[in-house]
Amino acid sequence: MDEVEPVAIVNRSPVVAQMPPPPVDDWVSRLRDDVHRHEATRELHQLMLRAARHQIARMPEGRDLGWARREEIVHAAADEATSSVLSRLGRFEGRSRFTTWAYKFAILQTAVEVRRSAWRQRETDLEALGEPVSDATGPEAYAESSDLTRAMREAIDHALTDHQRHVAIALLVEGVPIDVLAERLGSTRNSLYKTLHDARVRLRDDLTTRGYLGFATSEEAVS
Amino acid sequence: MNERARGLTPAAAERLLVDPGPYLSCDDCFEQVDARVEALLSGASEPLTPEFRGHLVGCAACLDEAWSLAELAAQDAGVDRASVRARFEQALEPDRRPLA
Ligand SMILES: [Zn+2]
Repeated sequence: MDEVEPVAIVNRSPVVAQMPPPPVDDWVSRLRDDVHRHEATRELHQLMLRAARHQIARMPEGRDLGWARREEIVHAAADEATSSVLSRLGRFEGRSRFTTWAYKFAILQTAVEVRRSAWRQRETDLEALGEPVSDATGPEAYAESSDLTRAMREAIDHALTDHQRHVAIALLVEGVPIDVLAERLGSTRNSLYKTLHDARVRLRDDLTTRGYLGFATSEEAVS
Repeated sequence: MNERARGLTPAAAERLLVDPGPYLSCDDCFEQVDARVEALLSGASEPLTPEFRGHLVGCAACLDEAWSLAELAAQDAGVDRASVRARFEQALEPDRRPLA
């Protein structure tokens, strides 16, 4: 093999020149290819910008942020998403189009930042989460006080841990976005959703045991 | 009684009572969402697993992001926005409770 190596070197240039570039939709090859990487990365960034603009446009929370802040979020999210995609190229398994796989990184980055930015202007709302809200919620809160909602209040008090109660009420009664609550509690979306899931299972079990619900969670039905 | 729980509206009570189904984490939802969304757009008969559907119904943030992804992927696949909405609502229907 040593003897043929010089021949291979001599012929390498023409061979490369004759090789067709990776297909335009073969993103992974283009993003790894020395010749095409720069252009492919620029196109990927454009794709991430498109996804970020799409996400921010559909979020009501984004409308009050102002044009400049929205643009800042869109560009930061596109930059971050481009880096995320490039660093995870080896994990793309082709279970979807590359573009669909890549969009989700920009959508996530944008959505999280919009939620957090919108709630930064509502600092006092979050700080008040530990305070009683019974008077602040208005009479409509009591207007339809059915047996079930009364039973639910009891279940919230007696069936949930303090942490489950705090998380469930913040997310589902107060409407604090999960990413905002995670940031304030030094937690993660994953961890808070697990707490919420467990809280719902406990509430449903409690209400089922007391005859207010016909079924507990489907988790039990399949396990 | 917990004072904050007394502010429970019927809509909030309904959100609390969502059947979360088998547990799926937000990270696992993110891992799967691109393939699930394309299955949905392709018209597959069972595009969402019970775990994935339960997570979307129970997690407002992941639902919003999955829906957004479906809209973008639909543009690439030539599927109109109204169809995306119809397919999403149909796929979530078995567990559907209002989230907002
Ligand atoms: Zn989630």
